Amino acid sequence: MTGLALLGAFGTVLVAGYGLLTLLVRQEARFSLTEQIAFSWLLGTGAVSLLLWIFGLFVHGVLLPALVSIVCLSLGFVGWRRMVPLPLRHNPKSFEIFLAIIVAIEIAIVFYLSFVHTLGWDGLLNWEIKARYAFANGGVLPVTYFSDSGRAFSHPEYPLAIPFTELWLYLWLDEADQFCAKTIFPIFYVVGTFLLVALGRRLSGRTWIGLLMAAFLFFVPQITVEAGSATGGYADFPLSIFFLASIGCLICAAEQGNAAFFRLYAACLTLLPWVKRDGVILWTVAAACGVFVILRTKRSPLFFLGFLPGLLIICGWHFYLSTMHALQPADFLPVNLETLGSHLYRIPPLLSAFLAEFYNLPTWSLFWFVVAVGVVYLLRRMRDPRVLVLLAALIVPIFFYLLIYVFSSWPSYLDHVGLSISRLLMHVAPVGFLITILAVSRRSEKNPARVREGGVVTCIMAGSERTPVVELA
Amino acid sequence: MTSRFSYGRTTHVMLWCGLAVALLGVSIPKIYSGATENPLRPTRPLHTCDSYLKFATGASGAAKDVISIFQSMTASKRVIIFTRKDDAFSSGLGMTTAYLASPHLVRLFEINGTHPDNELLKINPDQVAAVVFCRINRPAWVPAGKVFGSGLEIVPMPKERR
Repeated sequence: MTGLALLGAFGTVLVAGYGLLTLLVRQEARFSLTEQIAFSWLLGTGAVSLLLWIFGLFVHGVLLPALVSIVCLSLGFVGWRRMVPLPLRHNPKSFEIFLAIIVAIEIAIVFYLSFVHTLGWDGLLNWEIKARYAFANGGVLPVTYFSDSGRAFSHPEYPLAIPFTELWLYLWLDEADQFCAKTIFPIFYVVGTFLLVALGRRLSGRTWIGLLMAAFLFFVPQITVEAGSATGGYADFPLSIFFLASIGCLICAAEQGNAAFFRLYAACLTLLPWVKRDGVILWTVAAACGVFVILRTKRSPLFFLGFLPGLLIICGWHFYLSTMHALQPADFLPVNLETLGSHLYRIPPLLSAFLAEFYNLPTWSLFWFVVAVGVVYLLRRMRDPRVLVLLAALIVPIFFYLLIYVFSSWPSYLDHVGLSISRLLMHVAPVGFLITILAVSRRSEKNPARVREGGVVTCIMAGSERTPVVELA
Repeated sequence: MTSRFSYGRTTHVMLWCGLAVALLGVSIPKIYSGATENPLRPTRPLHTCDSYLKFATGASGAAKDVISIFQSMTASKRVIIFTRKDDAFSSGLGMTTAYLASPHLVRLFEINGTHPDNELLKINPDQVAAVVFCRINRPAWVPAGKVFGSGLEIVPMPKERR
């Protein structure tokens, strides 16, 4: 029975996401099955959690999941009518099959790890707590929760994408089950590997590079086994996958003016501040990159409308919190020039702490060293807007994260850094993989024909796929 | 053919292969130990809370009992939780208890030492559903409550004071 309920919950999420994907892509681009699953999951979790929140303002009890289910199925019906075209089949090489088997084994291990570990501290007391309380209150967070000083430790001000995805499972299971709630996190890992394979293929024109990077995702301890990893029930890994999807779609949109990818970018961008409060920083950086791409590729000013939904979510959530009289977070001092001026002395120790984290081998292995080599490779290709976007998406959030600790209100701000820095760096780690893909592939301007190898779908092909037969001919 | 096996290409391949092997060499021991340190746990709905409570108090499967104690109390009254400053176990236990105390509002008191007498005297018992002591000694003048393992005691307040 539990299995059927989980199937129903995941099915509705995927169906809703697929419907949204078809609406965004409008049959203008081809997406592989794994890409379709990945984007369907990301858009589906965003849609279901937003629908639960918005409908929850008006109804609760049995009516709430019923209404959300109806919307999910309606979106699925739309998706069924406007299927996203699949790319033409190409026969995988034996090395690609070998790598795919490795990735599949790694995914199985991540599922296993997710079940042997409990929810992490924040996973329980910052995220799952909201799902449980909302479930016990008919699908809506109790008003008293937001102003209960005794539960300020659980950060009532945090957004609801992850807890309300857990809530969706609880509503289907008819029980708040911490064990089942964990199932959503390895799925984000699966989505991450699917995206890396797909983006690797689109950026390099070679499937094996994407598969190789997906295989190496497993070997970053912070992502697989460390505190706050993909299996701990924290929002950081899902946020990093949303960021990967946003930036990946943006660099695909930067090539050949592909509007379908730009719409997907805008959709993933919208969900960043809905996943975690830090998502506002990632939203700002990714939006700035989007502005750069729009201006650089001389797009219509209408493309700027893509930033509107994200702004609506940021403002809407703040308005909701003020209406609920939510407690103000106490982790940071007021962000203003006066505080900045009086705390500038913190910057050198913060820089040292950040640098130390980059070569923290038990947490990151050699990942950041590999990324640094990749960055050096790409410095020669700074004229390529995609390279600029990738470098900005990697470096600027780290700079902002360093800056926010200047405003830490903890008695020891370095303790604050020590507790959260690895999770913050994880937000941009998947973008580091994209940089490595570009560096490894060395697909330069000299040899653009490479991207057509083996009939593999790339951004360039996707940009002109309205006439695929002519293109491939 | 010369361009296919140029020095640049060979260096490129060797560099990335070397990096990949080095990364694997550093990562695999860490990931192996992380993957094998815990056995598969029972799939109970409260499995995380049970694990936390067992870790902090030694009591097995206590979360369900803690919830049923709180649910038997008047929901409109607050739960008072005492924890010790500078004791991470006590603090963690307090937060886990606060999590389980829903739908009651909670108030966390972090005290120096292990004797909360002064704070208890300031509390109006009519507005309190229960007092919880997390790795803190219950004062002798407070009636005994339900004890979970070593370190967690929940003292329900009488529903109607005479």
